[in-house]
Amino acid sequence: MENVTELLLKFISNTGFAMADYRYVIMILIGMIFIYLGIAKQYEPLLLIPIGFGILMGNVPVFKGLGLSIYENNSVLHYLYFGVTAGIYPPLIFLGIGAMTDFSTMLARPLLMLLGAAAQMGIFLTFLGALALGFAPNEAASIGIIGGADGPTAIFLTAKLAPNLIGPIAIAAYSYMALVPVIQPPIMKLLTSREERLIRMEEPREVSKKEKIIFPIIGFLLCCYLAPAALPLLGMLFFGNLLKECVVAERLAVSARTAIIDSVTILLGMTVGASTQGDVFLTPQSVSIFVLGALAFGVATASGVIFAKIMNLFLKEKINPLLGAAGVSAVPDSARVVQHVGQHEDPTNFLLMHAMGPNVSGVIGSAIGAGILWSFMAVPK
Amino acid sequence: MKGLEAIAFHNGWAISAVGISIVFTGLTLLALIISQLHKVLKLWDERGIYYERLKNMGQKEETTAMPDFPLPQNMEESARQFKLLTERMEDPFSLPELLKLSEKCGLSHPHSTMNALLRSKRIVPDGKGYFHWNE
Repeated sequence: MENVTELLLKFISNTGFAMADYRYVIMILIGMIFIYLGIAKQYEPLLLIPIGFGILMGNVPVFKGLGLSIYENNSVLHYLYFGVTAGIYPPLIFLGIGAMTDFSTMLARPLLMLLGAAAQMGIFLTFLGALALGFAPNEAASIGIIGGADGPTAIFLTAKLAPNLIGPIAIAAYSYMALVPVIQPPIMKLLTSREERLIRMEEPREVSKKEKIIFPIIGFLLCCYLAPAALPLLGMLFFGNLLKECVVAERLAVSARTAIIDSVTILLGMTVGASTQGDVFLTPQSVSIFVLGALAFGVATASGVIFAKIMNLFLKEKINPLLGAAGVSAVPDSARVVQHVGQHEDPTNFLLMHAMGPNVSGVIGSAIGAGILWSFMAVPK
Repeated sequence: MKGLEAIAFHNGWAISAVGISIVFTGLTLLALIISQLHKVLKLWDERGIYYERLKNMGQKEETTAMPDFPLPQNMEESARQFKLLTERMEDPFSLPELLKLSEKCGLSHPHSTMNALLRSKRIVPDGKGYFHWNE
């Protein structure tokens, strides 16, 4: 009878209920909120559901030494997490993004690419803010890249420069990407007048097939010769796009934008979520990262809109300054936000296709920004 | 270390300035190249037409040094006399020699006659500095 009691007590002491503390409970609640936002509100469900469930998986307290935790070298989750820490998953996601992106609106009106460049001010101003708060330069660079509003880019750079911050940075980046429809509109309305929001854009010219095929080759060579550290991300982005546009490799393009990107998104979201264990994630540092992340998105939006207004001082054919907000590379959400805000003033003003130009150039700009920060911060071995 | 001191210590201002400049430069260059790409492709697609045009322009210059101009009626007799003179010369003939011979033979207004013959393309160059009658 005593042996039975002993065994029962030992079993109970090894359960999650006995090992949990308030931090795990908080994180489980956060995970449930992510799942709720993804399913009920449909905010970026393909990201929030894997991340949310991953948070639940990562916050089941486990007995150390059994190879269960994501941070234990011989655990299954740790092997799957290798794709994040080694920077493998983000380039594969970029392959899929390239294979599903249509660059023709950007090619039709290349001037709008500058709005994508302007929005990347959010990266560097947030970098300064993180330095001011006392973060080390490599950590500040990883926090700054949240301003690029690109989840794979943020994870890629953080894995290279500050792997200890992958959890909070990834959660912050994806959370704010999902909240773009909430964050951007007030800033856009504050910085623009009604007359400016009513500006109609000219119909873009037709882009030939040859242009769409040549662009990824030229874009890749130019961007990667300028910032070689952006090679893994931009190489895969432009490669995926070439597969799509050349038509003769349609099978590969279909695989890239369906099976490959979906599989990698599942693994990336789930393992990033699982890395946010309560004892690691709930720190004052994470709170600072969340605050800086919100600042990053706000600054990026404001920079894009203000730059569009500056461009209008020199242009005969004015551009709608709302398009500047689409330079924040949360594709296609920020373009949809521009469409929504524009249509609020004039229901017949269709800005979505015009907004896709700065939106996709923002993806290129944020990858270049990540490459630049990596080359500044990395210490060659 | 925090605040502006931390930014200055870690060279933050320079990194940010250079970084955003490189991003702008890269995307500006890409935008410039893209903006010209469709024109370059159009030139390449129409290269046959431009080659034909260049070829035709070259041939026109060879055969017509001056615009078309009919020989005045009162110079037909002078033209016949010049033709008789050239029969005594080599073919193709030298224009200065023909002029010298016409002056020697006492033909009237040799310069204006020769000018009219050239303008009306009765006499045409052979491209090597000599001339022949345009039969």
